[in-house]
Amino acid sequence: MESEVKVSENSTSMVSLHGSEHGHGDLLQLVSFHIGGEEFGLDILRVQEIIRIQALTRVPNSADFVDGVINLRGKVIPVIGLRKRFGLEALPHDKQTRIIVVEVKGNVLGFIVDSVSEVLRIPKDTVEPPPRLGKVEREYVSGVGKLDNRLLILLDVDRLMSDSEELISPQAASA
Amino acid sequence: MDNDFLLDPAMIQEFLTESEELLQRMDQDMVTLESTPHDGELLNRIFRALHTIKGTSGFLKFEPVVRLSHRAEDVLNALRRGEVQLSKRMIDALLAARDHLGRMLSDIRAGGLQQYSIDGLVAELETVQKPLAIAPPLDDTSTASGSPTMAQPASAPASPASQTPESGAATAAVPGNQKAGSADSSDATMRVNVRKLDDLINLIGELVLERNRLVQLSRDCSAGRLALEKLDSVLSQSAARLSFITEELQTTGLKTRMVPIDAVFRKFPRLVRDLAHNLHKEVELEIRGQETEIDKTMVELIGDPLVHLVRNSLDHGIELPETRAGAGKPRQGTIRLEARQEGDQIIILVADDGAGINPDRVLRKAVEKGLVTAERARQLTSREILDFIFLPGFSTAEKVNDLSGRGVGMDVVRSNLKRMNGTIQLDSVPAKGTTVKLRLPLTLAILPVLLVQVSDEAYALPLRAVLETSRVRSTEVHRMEGNEVLRLHGETLPLLRLRRMFDVESGDGELAEEKVVILLVGEKRVALVVDRLIGQESTVIKSLGGHLRHCSSVAGATIGGDGRVRLVLDPAGLLAAVEGPVGQEVLQ
Repeated sequence: MESEVKVSENSTSMVSLHGSEHGHGDLLQLVSFHIGGEEFGLDILRVQEIIRIQALTRVPNSADFVDGVINLRGKVIPVIGLRKRFGLEALPHDKQTRIIVVEVKGNVLGFIVDSVSEVLRIPKDTVEPPPRLGKVEREYVSGVGKLDNRLLILLDVDRLMSDSEELISPQAASA
Repeated sequence: MDNDFLLDPAMIQEFLTESEELLQRMDQDMVTLESTPHDGELLNRIFRALHTIKGTSGFLKFEPVVRLSHRAEDVLNALRRGEVQLSKRMIDALLAARDHLGRMLSDIRAGGLQQYSIDGLVAELETVQKPLAIAPPLDDTSTASGSPTMAQPASAPASPASQTPESGAATAAVPGNQKAGSADSSDATMRVNVRKLDDLINLIGELVLERNRLVQLSRDCSAGRLALEKLDSVLSQSAARLSFITEELQTTGLKTRMVPIDAVFRKFPRLVRDLAHNLHKEVELEIRGQETEIDKTMVELIGDPLVHLVRNSLDHGIELPETRAGAGKPRQGTIRLEARQEGDQIIILVADDGAGINPDRVLRKAVEKGLVTAERARQLTSREILDFIFLPGFSTAEKVNDLSGRGVGMDVVRSNLKRMNGTIQLDSVPAKGTTVKLRLPLTLAILPVLLVQVSDEAYALPLRAVLETSRVRSTEVHRMEGNEVLRLHGETLPLLRLRRMFDVESGDGELAEEKVVILLVGEKRVALVVDRLIGQESTVIKSLGGHLRHCSSVAGATIGGDGRVRLVLDPAGLLAAVEGPVGQEVLQ
């Protein structure tokens, strides 16, 4: 019976899918992923690729949410643990752990997430401004999207990095 | 529809690259022409260059460029036909035209042509090509009366706007042009010898063949067609071939980035000519080894330090002609600019036969500035004394002029060289001259490193900074002012523990015997405690990326054999982290 609900819900998104043939502005394509039991969405145009977790190299004196650097086909990129960034406790990486590679202000970097689920299309007009969440989260949230009975927290990667342009811990930067 | 041509960026880019190259060569050629006015080959080359620029710019509708290059070309044509005699005034006008063309090109590169008042210059070019105006009596009287539109700004009050930038151009605009050129070097193009590219393609072909062999091997293996005991030898053969090919590929790939150092040396004849003229000195510039190849990035970095050194030689080294004659030297001084390759290093020499540096004067200044006590000063060797010149704010020049003597100089040269992993050495004999020797690595891309292990991370240390590795007993480690130090060969070195510095979870604390790497940072030595020495390796250094670029004590990263990222440590940064910024300042 759950599938029944889905079908009826889907019909609305079908309508907007159809509408998107006139203009892409009506639909948002998102990569959805999980961190600490919550589902997040990131604009697919921002995502360069999604890779499995690999061996990290720690960088001394970097900010503590920087988990290290990885080798992305010969390019060295920093990776940031979103759990730590959101103030959640760190979990050991497992088979589901993924790195989402994005470009923020000309620099390529990776975000470690608990798991990546799928690519979603949601109508833009279902996105609502961020509700009053915890302070930490609200800063990086550009809105909340609805699909079926799921709530997707839309992440704003630019804002996520804006207050931490330097991924170096303060005492190291001043030294 | 003509505008369609104008807007084709690829075509304009092509035009700019070609014309800028032609102009650079022209600079040198024109100065050479002054001393060998009857060199037909040279005349033809300058003529052809101007003709090409005129032709292409005409096609692209860059009218001011056409007008100016056309006039300059006329002058060359008159010279070729022998209608006029070459004069200094003519060269001045031609050089001014060249500079103007250069400015127009960089304006085009920056977005578009501006308004130029080149009437005065065009008139001057027209004047100098007329046989009458250039007739033998080329003295102040004839120029002043014969041509009211002279290049000298003072005598051309009619068009001050056009002339004032002209006069400043010789000294001020030349470095300005370089800045504009290097600013957009990220999308710059370079010419590569086809032979180098062919070598590269050949190697890639071999790489593909080796790949095919490996693929076949893997198929055979999974199909059970290959005996397990044979696999070992086949695999090691393949690995050997593969490593040979990739090494070749690496060096050949780097060679495509190498350009003759002529690209740097080319601008010096003009620079020396103009400066010597301003300083009323007679100088001959000798250039040797301009075919020596250096990395493209190095060409951009070495330019400014070299300009500085040559200026120093001209300004402080070479004496005025009368002084030289009085000292029994030829009136004309010589500055030698030389490049050669020695092993995996490039040596660049800037030598002059000028007055040399007086060590007593340097020492007096050093004592005056409190850099050294009078007592200690007596024990210094002449080499140590000359080293003071490299300290920030040090200048023995008695008068300050716009060339040098402001005390910002040699320290900048040295720090620039450090950035390139190069060194500088200065030798000077009073009354005989000064020689500055620069040593640069062949390339910035490949770095020999020593791999060490700390906890479960491997780190790379630049091998050029490693003096030795050694084992020390805990009894040899002492404490001084709260810091650990090591007594080694009768010297006291600061001791750094990477585990503690990098906050790596400490294992079993201090051991009875520990492995240390002795690093040389500037003139200082530092002992680094590590867990294990892994070995040497040649690696390719990579940037840590924008966000982590300013991380002190880490110079970059390399990729290890297992595909993991290894950090390359910066010895100077490590030392600065314990000594604080003050220590760093002294080192720079």
